[in-house]
Amino acid sequence: MNPSPEDPGLRIAALQAELDEVKRREAAFRARMVNEFLDRGERNTYLHVLREEKAALARREQEASADLELLTRKLEAEGDRAAALEAELSRAKSSWAWRLGAPMRALERILGADPPQRTPAGPANPPAEGGVFTYYLHTSPFRIYREPTFTLRGWAWPQDGRAVTAVRINLDGRLFVGRHGLEEPEVIARYGPQPANPRPGFEVPFETPPGRHLLSLEAQIDSSEWRSIMTTSIWCESKRP
Amino acid sequence: MSADDAHARVRRSTATFAERSAYKKVWGSLAEDSEMASLAVAGHTDEATMELTARGFIDMLRATVGLGPTDVVLEIGCGIGRVGRPLSRECLQWFGADISGAMLEHAAARLRGVPNVRLVELATVGLQEFPADAFDLVYCTIVFMHLFEWDRYRYVEEAYRVLRPGGRCYFDNYPLDSEHGWNVFTEATRYPPDRRPAHLSMASTREELGIYLAKAGFEAARVHDLPNGLIAATGRKPG
Repeated sequence: MNPSPEDPGLRIAALQAELDEVKRREAAFRARMVNEFLDRGERNTYLHVLREEKAALARREQEASADLELLTRKLEAEGDRAAALEAELSRAKSSWAWRLGAPMRALERILGADPPQRTPAGPANPPAEGGVFTYYLHTSPFRIYREPTFTLRGWAWPQDGRAVTAVRINLDGRLFVGRHGLEEPEVIARYGPQPANPRPGFEVPFETPPGRHLLSLEAQIDSSEWRSIMTTSIWCESKRP
Repeated sequence: MSADDAHARVRRSTATFAERSAYKKVWGSLAEDSEMASLAVAGHTDEATMELTARGFIDMLRATVGLGPTDVVLEIGCGIGRVGRPLSRECLQWFGADISGAMLEHAAARLRGVPNVRLVELATVGLQEFPADAFDLVYCTIVFMHLFEWDRYRYVEEAYRVLRPGGRCYFDNYPLDSEHGWNVFTEATRYPPDRRPAHLSMASTREELGIYLAKAGFEAARVHDLPNGLIAATGRKPG
């Protein structure tokens, strides 16, 4: 039997249910409004972060351009110096004294009596022989160094599957031992498990005295031999005031 | 990691009272792991006890300001989401705001899979992340004792802004004029002034909480004596 539309109790109940539904929809609308407001805030924050990153990249680009210009000037200066030395050598070769000594030098060549060569004393720790590594450097070594120290960070493993048991930097024979075995979950996720090197990250702080140096990043393999991951020349400047 | 160890690390917390205002830093350092975070915000690490105390709080909330299934609720200083988990089952949507991102990471882990919750990290003291006139209920429990008075009032003012007309608020602290409150106060006097930790608990008075609510514009402001020894100020936004 259908309830009578005139039944006040039923009408009140129906109105109450309708009111509750309106309340629920109004509350749901407010909850959605808060969520959208928060989403917008997060997007704005993300945009802000992107803008900050863009500004930082622009600064890095300017610094890199300045470094490039400086290196170009150094190269030009070295070129000028080489040209001056070549000119001096050609002047020396065209001199009367050089021509006078020519028969004597020819005779020495024929007799094989080369003047004794002085072997320069090598560094106490020559760079290790190169190995084949999969690696990446988070802090690029290709830069002009202006701080007294620098920390090279990255990850590496030898492609023959052996374990890295230590890392160091050999800077003109000076050794700087770093930390290895640091977590690199994104690298493992990308390249797959590395059984011998489950934590392939490393960091090696080293000093950067002014001047030009030969830098060799080296890894000890299976607690025995050292192998070079990469080698490069670096240029260190005194810190600007 | 044992609860004893977490206790020791909370005691060793290096942030000093001078850093109390650096809430993000202080509470970030107290949330190194979930045990330490639980201890810092709830005083214990036992999940069952946490659920029980949260249920007790919800009962108090229901008794003082009411709680309904269509309520859109905001908790200020939600920490690890102790209250949020059970409360989310009794409201339409629960928002948990905290100044410590580290605490919220633990909260996110505890609330994983709960559909009607959202966690928001506050940039600084205040609720600037939230729109005005949005919530039915804003509450803040076991937080005021860790804040300076200006910041307590800032949250009361902000609660007023984000509540819809007719929305309710709830703020609690322990009272200085109770035996428990006085014990906490006198225990804190034992710290040498330069060794007071940043999270040291500081009491409120009934007058203080009442004044905050009145100055912020709330009507029907009341200060309740709760069975757990705390006092709670409640009020309603006109409209």
